[in-house]
Amino acid sequence: MEIIKLDHITKQYDDGFVALKDINLELESGKFYSLLGPSGSGKTTILRIIAGFTEASAGKVYFDGQDITNLDASKRHINTVFQNYALFPHLNVYENVAFALKLRRRPESEIREKVKDALHTVRLDGYANREISELSGGQQQRVAIARAIINEPKVLLLDECLSALDKRLRKEMQFELRAIQKKLGITFIFVTHDQEEALAMSDEIFVLNDGEIQQSGSPVDIYDEPVNDFVARFIGDSNILSGRMIRDFAVEFAGKDFECADAGITPGEKVEVVLRPEDLDITAPAAGKLMVTVQSQLFMGDHFKIKAIGQDGFEWLIHSTNGVQIGQEVGIFFDPEDIHVMRLGETEEEFDARLETYEGED
Amino acid sequence: MKKNRLLFLLPYLLWIGLFVIAPLVLILGYSLTDAHSHLTLQNFAAFFSGGTFLRMMANSFWYALLITFFCLLVSYPAALALTRLKNQQFWLMLIILPTWINLLLKAYAFIGIFSRSGMVNQFLGLFGIGPVGIMFTDFAFIFVATYIEIPFMVMPIYNSLKEIDPALLSASSDLGASFWQTFRYVIWPLSWPGVESGIQAIFIPSLSLFMLTRLIGGNRVITLGTAVEEYFLTTMNWNMGATIGVILIALMLIVMLLTSRKQHKKEIEL
Amino acid sequence: MKKTIWGRVYFGLVLLILYLPIFYLIYFSFSSGSSMDHFRHFTWEHYQTLFADKRLLAILLETIMLALLSSLAATVLGTFGAIAIQRSKEAYRKILLSFNNILIVSPDVIIGASFLILFTALGFSLGFASVLLSHIAFSVPIVVLMVLPKLKEMDNSLIDAAQDLGANNYQVFSQVLLPALTPGILSGFFMALTYSLDDFAVTFFVTGNGFTTLSVEIYSRARQGIDLEVNALSTIIFFFVLLLVGVYYFLTKRQGKKANKLGGLLR
Repeated sequence: MEIIKLDHITKQYDDGFVALKDINLELESGKFYSLLGPSGSGKTTILRIIAGFTEASAGKVYFDGQDITNLDASKRHINTVFQNYALFPHLNVYENVAFALKLRRRPESEIREKVKDALHTVRLDGYANREISELSGGQQQRVAIARAIINEPKVLLLDECLSALDKRLRKEMQFELRAIQKKLGITFIFVTHDQEEALAMSDEIFVLNDGEIQQSGSPVDIYDEPVNDFVARFIGDSNILSGRMIRDFAVEFAGKDFECADAGITPGEKVEVVLRPEDLDITAPAAGKLMVTVQSQLFMGDHFKIKAIGQDGFEWLIHSTNGVQIGQEVGIFFDPEDIHVMRLGETEEEFDARLETYEGED
Repeated sequence: MKKNRLLFLLPYLLWIGLFVIAPLVLILGYSLTDAHSHLTLQNFAAFFSGGTFLRMMANSFWYALLITFFCLLVSYPAALALTRLKNQQFWLMLIILPTWINLLLKAYAFIGIFSRSGMVNQFLGLFGIGPVGIMFTDFAFIFVATYIEIPFMVMPIYNSLKEIDPALLSASSDLGASFWQTFRYVIWPLSWPGVESGIQAIFIPSLSLFMLTRLIGGNRVITLGTAVEEYFLTTMNWNMGATIGVILIALMLIVMLLTSRKQHKKEIEL
Repeated sequence: MKKTIWGRVYFGLVLLILYLPIFYLIYFSFSSGSSMDHFRHFTWEHYQTLFADKRLLAILLETIMLALLSSLAATVLGTFGAIAIQRSKEAYRKILLSFNNILIVSPDVIIGASFLILFTALGFSLGFASVLLSHIAFSVPIVVLMVLPKLKEMDNSLIDAAQDLGANNYQVFSQVLLPALTPGILSGFFMALTYSLDDFAVTFFVTGNGFTTLSVEIYSRARQGIDLEVNALSTIIFFFVLLLVGVYYFLTKRQGKKANKLGGLLR
């Protein structure tokens, strides 16, 4: 069921800066969405337009089928968890969480019951009388969530809300956010610039850049089949080489021809080829499809990050579970499915359409 | 650097001793003695038994309260409006600039404005309201005092309003609050420190604006400050003057304690 | 949107009320005659009287001298005090600070009256010296309060670093400490200047017959009624202040200084 729909939304600020260019998206209820992009990509602007803090210059916002474009933020059944939590410093945990209910003059007994439930949901039982200043970052984060879900919104907006936490806590909160979303069964829209976060939690990701949606899809789709080099570079590490399509299922790069899994591209067309570093295996020089010389390596705990120079001078990034010798000549091996070919300037629709034409043949 | 500490500390301690502690001790001493330097509580007895002094104290308190209240009434919305303007630094400077004009010059201006044929009466005359005696009334005194103190109230309130994270206002609205609810539950409590320092900056000086009571209030408005001046410089009864001074200090301490009192929250059982 | 418009209107109204009395003074400084009721005809007469009034000009000069001298002394004393407070143990620091703040929160009449008692008790004759001492005395705590935050935000390792590099105590003070404190010291100095120029009540108590400041002079003239020479003086003071503040504003604006710097202009 569709819960939020943005219809041809554009946003231009007074100073002429165009933050959003014709954004269209439809979100279903009960799913976890991420808006992923670098700062200035427009992801927070989208969130603010859905919340009602910012007015779109053109286009319409629909909530549950109803046009809410001109509805005040205070009247929308959408709540927000803010970037730095925006907890009221003069109120304690209980008063913060109870804020929305107090505004609506709910009976005291009902307020207590609901605050208790909300604090339980975010695993903060017993913290009701704490002052905000006494809480750690992670606890403040939970209070902010409890405060936002007390009104039982159908959509919860989360604005970069893990970015202030340290790495360990961030990982922990990723699991927890996902669990809370599953438990409540409502739609989460999570804004982040951290691709790992988006990949880990989302049902669906919208990758944004320069006020446009570059690609949308499940984390696996976006990771495996980036539509352009922005998405490929932004999500995960990647080796991007320029190449040339020879015919369907054959591409040339790094001075050699390779079998690949892409088709529907004019033979001879210039393309870009993406190879993920973890798809590359290090072999004996003779067994590899390409020969490279190891330049440096970093031990990351669970794998090695290896930089190596190819014969054509391309700098390869390889993830390997085993270390190598610096200066050593090694081969690299990959399967045809590991090669992802991107056409220059292809949009998401064209990409999807092209995929249709040959995937059926398999 | 250890021995140097004394070099820095000594002149400062000397200042504290000579200009803070000594004057306080002296004024207390004078209040507890009579004209012949005999120890006595007579001055305080005179203060608290005579209706004149108590009425004067109540009056001072009342005037100071009114001045502070009207100041707050005018200044808060002005400070709030200021936070929504562009070029706030410029407008803020315009608010501060009049404080650089000598207070007595501003008071002097009102002698002209409020006089029987001055601007206000000329304006009232347009509506056929005959010349009204505004000078030497409570109204004139309170108006001028409020006028003079407004910038000192706008400043701290503006500063505390500026410190409020705009995200808090979004959060309040996000949770369903109307503008007035946001004002009442978020903006007002968070700007309270500014209001508090504004009140402290105005209430206490208002108790001692003797030059205004002389120039604008005539001799009809008599506050504790006026009385201190009169006993010290006109009737030369320093002991009584010092007594009133000590009581003024006590009032001041009470105000400071009242405004900086911490609120206790009740615990909630879930 | 509507709220912003009403806010602007209201703010404009407040500004109007703030400036009306000042402009009223200026307006009548150009009127012939001797009252602030009706503008007669334009004249420079009051300015001519003002510039021929040797006594008033001398008072103006003395007031400025007094302000400069007292703020200078208070700045030195206050800076030393701030450093002393910062270096004290926590418990002493609190005591010193509360003593420091007593003069700031005290009503002017109390300060004036108690200083009067003090000078009499010490057998000090009232005049320029007593006024100067009083102005220094009530300016010191303000300087302390302006310098102290700068001391607090200063990185202590700066001093360690200087000593590590071989600076002696005097060099640490003059090469590291003072430059770091300069903004606080400057705003302390300007605050002290304003306090001194603006003071009436304290001066009124401790000035004898021989010495008068501008405030006291205006007070005694105003008590005798309207004197348009005072209006002419106000006009000159207003435009002088306007010039000063204008220069200050554009200097700070160009340097892109932070908002609260302007707070230094207040009293």
